[in-house]
Amino acid sequence: MTDTRLRLLKGTFDVLILRTLSWGPAHGYAISRWIASTSQNDLKIEEGALYPALRRLEERGWIESDWQLTETGREARFYKLTDTGRKGMQAELAAWERYVAAFARVIAARPEGSIA
Amino acid sequence: MTRKTHGPDDEGLPMSRVKPVADDVRKELEFHLHERARELEARGMSAEQAMAEARAQFGDRRIVEQECETIETRRRGTKRRAERWSALRQDIVVGLRVLRKSPGFTLSAVLMLALGIGANSAVFSIVNRVLLRPLPYENANRIVTVVERHDNNGWGNLPWANFVDIRAQSKSFDALASYSSGPATVLGLSSPIRANVGIVSADFFKVFSVRPFKGRFMNSDEHKFGTPAVAVVSYSFWRDRLGAPSSLENVRVRTDRDYQVIGVAPDGFTFPESNHIWTALEAVERGTSRTSHNDETIGLLRSGVEPLVAQREVDGILSGLSKIYLPDFDAVGAKIVTLQETLNGSFRTPLYLVLGASALVLLAACVNLASAMLARGTARTAEFTVRFALGATRLRVIRQLVVESGMLAFAGCACGLLLAAGILQVLRALAPEELHLEQVTLDGWVVGFALVVAVITTLLFGLLPALRLSRANVSLALRDGSRGTSGVGRMRAWNLLVATEVALAVVLLSSSALLVKSFNKVLQNNLGFSADSVFAARIELPEILYEDGASIRTFHERALANLRALPGVSSVGFVNRVPLTGANPSGALMVEGKPESPKGPFNAYSIYRVVGGEYFGALQIPLLKGRVFRTDGLPEPTPSVVIDEAFAREQWPNEDPIGKRVMVRGMDPGNESWLTIIGVVGSVRNQSPTTPFAATYYFDYHARPAFRVRRAIYTIHTSASETAIAPLIRKAFADVDNQVPVAISDFSETVTDSSASRRFPMALFTAFAAVALVMAIVGIYAVVSYAVAQRTREIGVRLALGATPLGVRTLVLTSAMQAVVPGLVVGALLSFGSASLLRNQLYGISPFDPVALVTGVALLAVAALVSSALPAIRATRVDPLLAMRAE
Repeated sequence: MTDTRLRLLKGTFDVLILRTLSWGPAHGYAISRWIASTSQNDLKIEEGALYPALRRLEERGWIESDWQLTETGREARFYKLTDTGRKGMQAELAAWERYVAAFARVIAARPEGSIA
Repeated sequence: MTRKTHGPDDEGLPMSRVKPVADDVRKELEFHLHERARELEARGMSAEQAMAEARAQFGDRRIVEQECETIETRRRGTKRRAERWSALRQDIVVGLRVLRKSPGFTLSAVLMLALGIGANSAVFSIVNRVLLRPLPYENANRIVTVVERHDNNGWGNLPWANFVDIRAQSKSFDALASYSSGPATVLGLSSPIRANVGIVSADFFKVFSVRPFKGRFMNSDEHKFGTPAVAVVSYSFWRDRLGAPSSLENVRVRTDRDYQVIGVAPDGFTFPESNHIWTALEAVERGTSRTSHNDETIGLLRSGVEPLVAQREVDGILSGLSKIYLPDFDAVGAKIVTLQETLNGSFRTPLYLVLGASALVLLAACVNLASAMLARGTARTAEFTVRFALGATRLRVIRQLVVESGMLAFAGCACGLLLAAGILQVLRALAPEELHLEQVTLDGWVVGFALVVAVITTLLFGLLPALRLSRANVSLALRDGSRGTSGVGRMRAWNLLVATEVALAVVLLSSSALLVKSFNKVLQNNLGFSADSVFAARIELPEILYEDGASIRTFHERALANLRALPGVSSVGFVNRVPLTGANPSGALMVEGKPESPKGPFNAYSIYRVVGGEYFGALQIPLLKGRVFRTDGLPEPTPSVVIDEAFAREQWPNEDPIGKRVMVRGMDPGNESWLTIIGVVGSVRNQSPTTPFAATYYFDYHARPAFRVRRAIYTIHTSASETAIAPLIRKAFADVDNQVPVAISDFSETVTDSSASRRFPMALFTAFAAVALVMAIVGIYAVVSYAVAQRTREIGVRLALGATPLGVRTLVLTSAMQAVVPGLVVGALLSFGSASLLRNQLYGISPFDPVALVTGVALLAVAALVSSALPAIRATRVDPLLAMRAE
């Protein structure tokens, strides 16, 4: 079976995580599930890669964590966005949107003659 | 009450315990795999399949785990450090605020620390240098000086003949050497200079276990009469004066003879005193006298032989010699002490006393600090209690206190070190030259010790109040308010501390009063001469140029004439040895018409001087009877002599000594003639400002052809300033002979220096007494203030019940005096003890001088009254109602 999913561009994973957490605190597994389901499984992410990414964001002070009980009564490490993280995410999102729009404009544009 | 001063992280313990890093990571990943497997199971997989699939989708778990652990460990470390720093910063900020709010306490604590550390570090450094550190010679503890004791309780150097016999017979020494040293004119260099030249016997260098830096020392053939003249020079002389020649061949120096330099002593060796040339003593004929005490003796004891044991052995040898040579023999025994003792011994007692004083001052500083910190801590009990009750951990409060105390300690130490450096500077300037304190620096160990003591005291007593308060008794303390921890027991302990300080200060004050009084006595002492407006010009006529008496006399005649002609010069004379210069050459003589002594025909003993020009006039030594020597350059018609008042009183208490005759023993062996006394002058202090006047007679340098006054000190009385006159004096001598260098000094400085050995301990004691007084004042003030604060409510009640302010003040003062008075009494008693230790340092007053003691006690009593009166007055300004509600 060949994997046709998209490779994730460098630096975009953090934005996805932050965006996910912007809807509220979540544990790692929930974040993983949310990204998988909303992307309709079209992104090629090793599930394990999420965790170092989370720790790094925490080290940067963009998110913080503590152990809480889940609805099923198990202990899980919940992450939530800090104020710094929220601001950071907004800046990153804006940057990505501009990137994507610019990218799209270039792709969509048609020359009227030769571009030379 | 103190405002809330703790930080936000005081409240609340962490709700969940922080998991160890590995657990934290493993559990999180396990949770993920577990949840994923459950989801897959729900879609119909078997448990094992589901877990295998979850693992596969997860990727390499080991790598993830490791990466997470690394990041987490790093993050936690950074966080911890940041928290610690911010907590410390906050503690410091809070601490500074707290300390600023009570400037009196802060200043006095810092002052206490600074005084304790400063005084101790400086004094210990000096004591360490002078008394404890060995001299810079190998086997320094075995190097001893040897002198003989005489029956008049005095002592003298070993005569050469005795030295030779002792050296041959004694088994106590590895090496024994005789030497003398003094300034000489050195020729043969680019210009003539003055340098100290030592004349040393064989084995001199062996005593110090030194080896030549270059060349060799004199061998046994060269330590003989009539051998070629060879010399050893010091390292600095070789380097600076000779130009550091690599070969000593043809390097010559000329003093009394023309010497071939054969060796260079190692760098730094200049014994006995800035000596730069050593020649063989045996090269000059030594004579067989057993009563001329010219050369000093130094020895290296055999390993394991104590000075006293050697002394007993030499006693025996001398008593054997006396049986052979009496009456021409005056030794009754020997005195052998270490060189260290000889050089610094006279400073031992005062320095140990000062050391004791400084240790007591450090103790007093710690006591004051401790009581201040305790008082403060107790006063803050309520603050701590509230903070505990609000959930602050004990550790947190203790940390705050550590930081506060630490800041005090730091400030105190910094000020203390500055003070120590300052004190040392002053002491170095005050110290007598022979202590060689120029190179003393603060001793690292000493400073370290004082710092550690101070810091421990600060921290310990800063923390004690908080340590006593455990969480268990918080509620009790809250209910009790600030009364809870006061107590009769503690007040009693503090009274004891105050009494100790008072006693200490009394001892130091009365001791320093004794020393000051004694020093004034010394200063007021009649020296018998005046050094005001007198310049001393020291010359040594090089023997190589001035061999016979005639050339020497001519030099002096011409020099006197040139100097007299200088503008502003009122009188000029010279002498072979000025007053106040320590041990004096003296000799036996025969007084005509007096009975012979049992020991021989010579029936008197006297110091002598050889003078020229208007020596008596220049130093204002009064002529009491008769006349002094003629100054017109013509010889006296008959051989004559001038004696001093002490001599006259000793020999002719009721007669006129003028015209009487004396004969000097050994003056012109075989050709002694009677000398007629032509005048009597006032006595002068020949040895030191405090030695009694001793019989002295004066020769005129013309008197005998045999006199060769090559070493002379010209005394020039002039109204001119040193800068104006010095070049003129130099020229006056150079006009006679430019091969004779001159050393010019203000003679009044010599006189001042002669009392430096007394000024030094006096200054030290006075400084410590002042410090001790400050300590006592601060101590009393602190304790009385605290007592008043503790009794605010009681005082309020008393006032409300109609007590008069005067009554309350009396009450406070009375309780303060309960501590002070015993201190005064004990101090006065101890003063007697310390005074008897000081006995040898005192001149002209009794160690039990009542004025000194009363001064000490009275000064302290006044200080105590004043320092307890302030809080007593403050006590009565209390509003009774407020006071009773105070808690």
